[in-house]
Amino acid sequence: MERSLFETVLVPIANERDAEATCRAILREIGDGDATLHVVHVIEKAGGAPDKAGVEQRREFADRIFDRVDTALATEPIPLETAVLYGTDVATAILEHADRLDATSIMFTPRGASRWKKLLSGDVAQKLLSNTDRPLVILPPGDTDE
Amino acid sequence: MSDDELAKDLGLLSALAIGMGTMIGAGIFVLPGAAAQEAGPIVVASFVIGGAIAMVNALAVSELGTAMPKAGGGYYYVNRGLGPLFGSISGMGDWMGLAFASAFYCIGFGGYLTDLLAGTVLALPTLEFGLVALTDIQLGALIAGLLFVGVNYMGAKETGGVQTVIVTVLLGILTVFAATGFLHFDWGTLTTDGLAPTEQGYGAILPGTALVFVSFLGYAKIATVAEELKNPGRNLPIAVIGSVAVVTAIYAVLVGTMVGIVPWHSLDDSVPVSQVAEITFAGIPVLDAVGVTLISLAAMLATASSANASILSSARINFAMGRDKIVTDKLNEIHPTYATPYRSILLTGSVIVVFIAALGQDLEILAKAASVLHLIVYGLMNLALIAFRQADVPDYDPDFRVPFYPVTPIVGAVLSFGLIGFMNPIEIGLSLAFVAVAVLWYALYARSKTPRQGVLGQYVLDRSDAMPDIAVSAASAASPDAADEHRVMVPLSNPRTERHLVSLASTLAAERDGIVHAVHIVQVPDQTPLDRGAERIDTESEKLLEQAREHAAAHDVEIETTTIASHRSVEEVFDAARQYDDDQVVMGWGGDRPWSVGRAEQPLDELARDLPCDFLVLKDRGYDPSRILLPTAGGPDSDLSAEIARTLRSATGASIDLLHVVDDESEREAGEAFLTEWAADHDIGDAVLTVDTSGDIEGAIAREAAGETLVVIGATERGLLSRLVRGSLVFDVVDDLECSVLLAERPTKRSLRERLFGRSKE
Repeated sequence: MERSLFETVLVPIANERDAEATCRAILREIGDGDATLHVVHVIEKAGGAPDKAGVEQRREFADRIFDRVDTALATEPIPLETAVLYGTDVATAILEHADRLDATSIMFTPRGASRWKKLLSGDVAQKLLSNTDRPLVILPPGDTDE
Repeated sequence: MSDDELAKDLGLLSALAIGMGTMIGAGIFVLPGAAAQEAGPIVVASFVIGGAIAMVNALAVSELGTAMPKAGGGYYYVNRGLGPLFGSISGMGDWMGLAFASAFYCIGFGGYLTDLLAGTVLALPTLEFGLVALTDIQLGALIAGLLFVGVNYMGAKETGGVQTVIVTVLLGILTVFAATGFLHFDWGTLTTDGLAPTEQGYGAILPGTALVFVSFLGYAKIATVAEELKNPGRNLPIAVIGSVAVVTAIYAVLVGTMVGIVPWHSLDDSVPVSQVAEITFAGIPVLDAVGVTLISLAAMLATASSANASILSSARINFAMGRDKIVTDKLNEIHPTYATPYRSILLTGSVIVVFIAALGQDLEILAKAASVLHLIVYGLMNLALIAFRQADVPDYDPDFRVPFYPVTPIVGAVLSFGLIGFMNPIEIGLSLAFVAVAVLWYALYARSKTPRQGVLGQYVLDRSDAMPDIAVSAASAASPDAADEHRVMVPLSNPRTERHLVSLASTLAAERDGIVHAVHIVQVPDQTPLDRGAERIDTESEKLLEQAREHAAAHDVEIETTTIASHRSVEEVFDAARQYDDDQVVMGWGGDRPWSVGRAEQPLDELARDLPCDFLVLKDRGYDPSRILLPTAGGPDSDLSAEIARTLRSATGASIDLLHVVDDESEREAGEAFLTEWAADHDIGDAVLTVDTSGDIEGAIAREAAGETLVVIGATERGLLSRLVRGSLVFDVVDDLECSVLLAERPTKRSLRERLFGRSKE
């Protein structure tokens, strides 16, 4: 049977600003379909060295992101689940989670970072693009409040 | 695997590498020269004694670290143990100590960089801008400092093995150095002027230790990343103690070799290892050509990893301080792209740069200031350990315990504070200034913000009768303002009936200038995901809490509101009370409240045996506390009911009638005596006293309750709450009365631990 792209959607979100832009974009696209959103934030582990920031600190950061998402979607009848993922590689962690959920698509908004920033922070979008085994839906961020 | 396990990815080897990588830095590459000139060949003893002091403290770090594997390390333990005043001192001390140490590492880096580049086109210049002069070494140090701060700001990905590889390479190079040194070692060189040839003789050992102690800073940094360690109960002690042992041995061998090759007074005071390597590598193929460069690179690698680890762990300390509101949490903002605590890193980085520019010409000041501040923290940490052990905190359950308690922590504190005495006045003065700033900071800023009381302060205040007055007043003077805030939690479910509860809670809170914490626990069926439930119910919840806010406003009480979606109900009340450090819970009973349905997943006896705080359960038939009946048979729960009645009287001018039931007329006199004394003890001596001789408690209550508006009953038996949830009240009479009934239960052992430790998420 054909499954809609929107059936089980994995939405990786990197920061609070992303959270709002992504929610707006999703609300624009998703319509009245029976979508379930799985919003995740990946905490990048150094895998043997101390992390860039403490785990608890990063969890609090993730909680703030989820709060933003909750607020943005509060009035919508969309089932929502949130999860914090850990992994030494952000893209791999997202793809593995998509596999576990049997997600029908992975949706995100591009962060529009400069090449220089991408080099330093790791280009997650590029890695997803190269390694994905399921549909990627890249949503235009639309009007940001910048 | 659970989430927590996934978050823990530092094994024993990584932890050892962190400890050793941080310790082996500028200390061993820079200081042996200056220290040897100060103490002579006996400087080896200075290093060994430094290692011994570090070892005693390492034991304390291991115990505290396994008891509380939290980000923040030393700061966290001192703040929990000795309270936020000492917490502020240790937090600021640890933070600034790390900044001094980082500046010192950078200068070490700059020294070897200058040495490496000397004679090439890249040779660093000495800069002069009018009054400000920067030496070539300072310039190198500034470049290094900016580089390390930049790396941490952008969080350039450091993958697992790097630190381990760096430490392995370092150890390799140092082994080669020691091995070649062994061939050139000459006992005659070492003893040419005697072992302690300086004016002070053997008295120079401890001042030498004071100088080189900076070489041992780093073992405690393992504890600041304890939350990332796998199996911290085992790995943390091994890594902390092991890294101190290994590093002490390495230092002893290296320094012994160096003073056995170059006479102590000629040892170079900025790049001694290179100087010695030039001699020992001479004539050895390959090493002859690249050996000295190799040493310079090793030194730079070592100082870089030390500085890097120090900047990283200062951000952890900032985070822990921010969470306790000792500093503003804004400092701990995470960068949206790099996911680093960039503000904290920038601030620490700026301090480091200032230290390099202002004090960088005198390496010893940087090294010793770093040591003094760390020693203050270590000393306080030992005292915190004693406080935890003495106060017998239930949640304090370390996997590793220091041997020979209390000797070990006392020795640790004495050695740590004692070593400070061997510093120069300028370093002591500089550090005392920092302590003074920290105390001022606490008094003027943090005291009104932080909600944390320490074990020590709590211990003293809880025993204020038995303690000397001066200790009590000192403890209460140093207590944080916010910790005293009385929090009354009201779990809400139904908008129609909750007004009385909020009013009662408001009255109780207002009397103590406390706040009401209204919690809407939304019970979600098991099959519905929590998020979904929360969403649906959001509007209802908002309406309910808005009403609560209005009621509280009418009583002129501050209110805080929380919505919790849960599959459970009663348990969630307990959890929330713990999580938010509430002091009292005022629950409604009966009606369609979810906790009245008699459904709970955890055995309730277990729950009720472990009350998080005082519980008040209102069988609500209107809230009118003007005429209170207070039956009593003594006991801790009647203490609580007396306290409640007194509070209501003081708030509303209520009248209190006391009731004591005895079995027959012969006991009347004893009953009256008891009641009079009890009333006086509880400061309600002016209440109307009634002794009922029927022996029928329920009947007596029913009779006396006529005409009263509220009956306050202390649960004289354990397990009030479990009875409630099963649907049977303490007395059946409660169901038959016409007025409201308030049941009060106090935890057997007022559990301090929640307030002290907060509630961890695991």
